[in-house]
Amino acid sequence: MTNPIPETTNTKSPPGDLAIWVFILAELSVFGALFVVYAFARRYNVELFDHYQLTLDRTAGLINTVTLITSSYFVVRAVAAIKRGNSPTCSRWLSAAILLGVLFLVVKGMEYQHHFSQGIGLSTNLFYTFYIALTFFHFMHVIMGMVILTVVAIKAHRGGYSAEEHTGVETGASYWHMVDLVWLILFPLIYVMH
Amino acid sequence: MQYQSQMVAKPYFIAAIGLFTAQILFGLIMGLQYVMGDFLFPEIPFNVARMVHTNLLIVWLLFGFMGASYYLVPEESESELFSPKLALALFWIFLVAGALTIIGYLAVPYATLAKITGNDLLPTMGREFLEQPTITKLGIVVVALGFLFNIAMTVLKGRKTTITLVLLLGLTGLAVFFLFSFYNPSNLVLDKMFWWWVVHLWVEGVWELILGAILAFVLIKTTGVDREVIEKWLYVIIAMTLITGILGTGHHYYWIGTPEYWQIIGSVFSAMEPIPFFMMTVFAFNMVNQRRREHPNKAAVLWALGTAVMAFLGAGVWGFIHTLSPVNYYTHGSQITAAHGHMAFYGAYVMIVLTIISYAMPMMRGRAAANSNKSQVMEMWSFWLMTVSMVFITLFLTAAGILQVYMQRIGGDAAQSFMVVQEKITLFYWLREAAGLVFLIGLIVYIMSFFVGGEEQTETA
Amino acid sequence: MKKENHGLLRPCTLIWLLLLALTVATYVAAELGLQGQGLVMGVLTIALIKGQLVADWFMGLRRVGSFWRPVLSGYLLIVGTFIAVAFLLPQG
Repeated sequence: MTNPIPETTNTKSPPGDLAIWVFILAELSVFGALFVVYAFARRYNVELFDHYQLTLDRTAGLINTVTLITSSYFVVRAVAAIKRGNSPTCSRWLSAAILLGVLFLVVKGMEYQHHFSQGIGLSTNLFYTFYIALTFFHFMHVIMGMVILTVVAIKAHRGGYSAEEHTGVETGASYWHMVDLVWLILFPLIYVMH
Repeated sequence: MQYQSQMVAKPYFIAAIGLFTAQILFGLIMGLQYVMGDFLFPEIPFNVARMVHTNLLIVWLLFGFMGASYYLVPEESESELFSPKLALALFWIFLVAGALTIIGYLAVPYATLAKITGNDLLPTMGREFLEQPTITKLGIVVVALGFLFNIAMTVLKGRKTTITLVLLLGLTGLAVFFLFSFYNPSNLVLDKMFWWWVVHLWVEGVWELILGAILAFVLIKTTGVDREVIEKWLYVIIAMTLITGILGTGHHYYWIGTPEYWQIIGSVFSAMEPIPFFMMTVFAFNMVNQRRREHPNKAAVLWALGTAVMAFLGAGVWGFIHTLSPVNYYTHGSQITAAHGHMAFYGAYVMIVLTIISYAMPMMRGRAAANSNKSQVMEMWSFWLMTVSMVFITLFLTAAGILQVYMQRIGGDAAQSFMVVQEKITLFYWLREAAGLVFLIGLIVYIMSFFVGGEEQTETA
Repeated sequence: MKKENHGLLRPCTLIWLLLLALTVATYVAAELGLQGQGLVMGVLTIALIKGQLVADWFMGLRRVGSFWRPVLSGYLLIVGTFIAVAFLLPQG
């Protein structure tokens, strides 16, 4: 038990750049509004929503939830690595997280492929409008998060961060966790609750 | 001023102020025609006054954006402008084409203008904001392309900063979306939909990038806060702008025959459009509070802060009021829309152009950093006169709009006809016209401030 | 470099396993054919707890001063409340 990390120190600012937190807050508001509007739209169309919810592949949703949670966990490990000054390990964890991001996109893409091949689109009915709009908006965020993580991973690989200065890693990590957090609400809301 | 070629911005700014004045005069004429329908009839009918008022606005803002770009890009790129001659040539082409178009509007009936300019070869005329004859539109494309080329070459050969990249992205978007003014499908729904892509995807999309870039530039210069900090904010603001603005434009698609899902997408995303404006307000005030120097140009800082606040109020809050589709069902195209249009254009785009003029003009006129104290005090008076009167114009139009919606659209069988209602809200139109006169006084004070001498203020870092 | 002693598992690994377990619980509840108010309440509560866990342990807000953690908790609470109202309150 030598040199335990002082876990109890409180800092004032969250990990990463303050600007990304303002951005995260803004993004959460947009998603929050979409969730609430979904819930109220369902309230007035319960049967329609419950009926078409059954056409979603809940197992794919489960796989994707596990994928994102695990990916988020890998990013936590990446931040822990760079805090110890271990750039190669940090970069490896980030790469693994990005690969899981790819897996998420593939699974989601297969779901879309399934629906679209049946001629389902945004206009099919109100449920699909929400399902496609919400998940696709999230889909774009996954891509955006992966781009950020890739930039960070490359810089980490080149040794651009250190135990003292690694704000960039934390900034990218915070955004990625936000993408995860949003999905953790989205999955039960759209795939499960009825 | 560090680069000689920045001087080409000066004629652009002067033209902008000149056209701004003309725009306000036509606004006043039109405001009077609201209550005295035959005022200046048949010389200047209402529809012509309206067309001139809105077209002048767009054109002078474009002059302002171009001037701003010519001023700030060399300084940011740390390199002379690629071709100052091209910039000056384009200035004259644009000014003459603009003047001829306005004269065309005023001198001959619109149908005749369409005929003379060969509108039947490639019909693009007749739509709101896009009334310009097709040849004028082609001229605008030439000017825009030449301008973009000039700016892009300057950026490419010099230092690349976040500000110039964001500005370039905004300007490119401006040019690209303008191309939709040539697309005139016979399907009315498509026609309407792409019509919104021109001016409205500008104001709630790419123009916000231009606004952000200019604001960031002025804040870097006047506050001395680290470029890194300011650029970081610029990034998150433009990201949020694009996320909310592009889909938020869907709030224009509610009643034109597009699929129903736009009701939801348009409502939710446009309801979030105030966020980037709010971030801009927080950003501007934060930077000024963290300033590391006292820039002698107090007026420019005032304009910058004013932009942030008024853009949030006009574009953000007044936009939000009627953006949700259940609300918009009643308010669509009422005086509430006019209230929003006035404050949003003034707060976001008029004020940002006046900000950069306020910052750049003293230096282009050979002063070290700022005008004399006397001149600045006068400019600040004009700031308050114009801004406060614009707030009142907005409030009066909002009141008129609420009454209009209430009497004309709510109440089922008791709802009254358009003309009856217009008669009943005359009082607010008179008040609006009075506020408009105060605005004109503010503008005159603004112009006079350029001619006030006195000992100039120098840098006291 | 410091040598760390994590016991058997790091805290974040525990949280990760907990999140996975909660996710599976949500899935199983649906697969078992549960529905109605019980399912909605249970699944929603689990979702909010998961959100708070991510905010606290992954985003690292548990050690951050008195602004950001309440903001995130408040966000989850407000969104959760609206969803609960929309799903559970009887119409009319």
